[in-house]
Amino acid sequence: MAPKYKFTYFDVRARGEPTRLLFAAAGVEYEDVRVRRDDWAALKPTMPMGQLPILEVDGVTLCQSMTIARFVARETGMDGKTKLERAQADAFVDELEDLVPKLAMAMIFTTDENEKAEKVKELDKAIAEKLGKCEKLSGPDGHLVGNSMLWCDLVLYNIAYDIEEVYKSGTLQDYPKLAKVYDTVRSDPRIAKWIAERPAGQFNI
Amino acid sequence: MPTYKLTYFNVRGRGELIRLLFAAGGIPYEDVRIEWDKWPELKSKTPMGQVPTLEVDGQLMICQSMAIARFVAREAGLLGKTSVDQARADMLLDGGMDLGKLFTEMVMEKDASKKAEKKKEFGEKSLPPFLALYEGFAGGNGYFVGDSLTWADIAFFNMMDFITAEYPSALDGYCNLNKVVDNVKTNPGVAKWLKERPVTDH
Repeated sequence: MAPKYKFTYFDVRARGEPTRLLFAAAGVEYEDVRVRRDDWAALKPTMPMGQLPILEVDGVTLCQSMTIARFVARETGMDGKTKLERAQADAFVDELEDLVPKLAMAMIFTTDENEKAEKVKELDKAIAEKLGKCEKLSGPDGHLVGNSMLWCDLVLYNIAYDIEEVYKSGTLQDYPKLAKVYDTVRSDPRIAKWIAERPAGQFNI
Repeated sequence: MPTYKLTYFNVRGRGELIRLLFAAGGIPYEDVRIEWDKWPELKSKTPMGQVPTLEVDGQLMICQSMAIARFVAREAGLLGKTSVDQARADMLLDGGMDLGKLFTEMVMEKDASKKAEKKKEFGEKSLPPFLALYEGFAGGNGYFVGDSLTWADIAFFNMMDFITAEYPSALDGYCNLNKVVDNVKTNPGVAKWLKERPVTDH
């Protein structure tokens, strides 16, 4: 029987990885469809909003990356234990998700040297500002909100992975509570298995 | 019932969707509006140095306008009936915010000739495909999700309130979208709020 969920995104981590991490953490099977850059133009007009990712479930096609992640978090019980926890998790995600396109532009997609220097400056400023705010509000025990791993932890993990492993290793040292969240997520057995086995992707972002 | 205190500037901006949701849900709340000169001393007391913030029962402070809006929409029963409905509402809102970003960029442009250029481009290249797309998303009954009012309808109304101030005839000819706007305007709580709310430039 086909899995209940079919997730389609580019062959990268970026805006799609939080959803993949959620499926992994919850041990929920899904179809992980990856679109290579060259195949995108033909596919684009068939998408509800002309963008990826999309999630197909129960005959419905959902789009918008954080909508999909929030939906899967809800389905897998990782959106928050109470209404207030859910709102706090939402707030962390809203604050952090701007970093994803900034990382992609500064690290990979800007080729002109001068423009790249600008983007890097912008990225460093955004990292300091946003991680600073999240550090202040984070829980002390390896969870951003409450006492369980929620989708906001996975969103943070995904961004922190890019920063620590690809962009500027050692950044998290300045943010000890966030570093704890990062460690808690990557040492979860199901997540560790996914990280070890996931495709490298078309771009390292 | 919990007590709610919303704090924002004396503008519609990022606070108005929240105020509309409280109104639509018939939920009483304290609508605190701060003057610009009071902001510096308040800023450090907010979780992320920004407003709007929502205080619940005089304690927990939530920030991020969309997180607050979603929370209030849930309290008002306007989130969407099923999980998939809720995701549909979320996705339509997210798409609207992408357009809203472009619009705000245009409005905030200080250079007069750049602004005129951006205004033309938004009106000709960004707005029409969005409205055509959303006309398809809206049902013939004037609801974006299912067969009853959700925050997706209210958010659309609020955004078009800003956009039609610059492009008055934007919604001409869009049957379903005009029905959505009507459904929102005639909701009793919203109708009352629209009549009574302070008039602000933005």
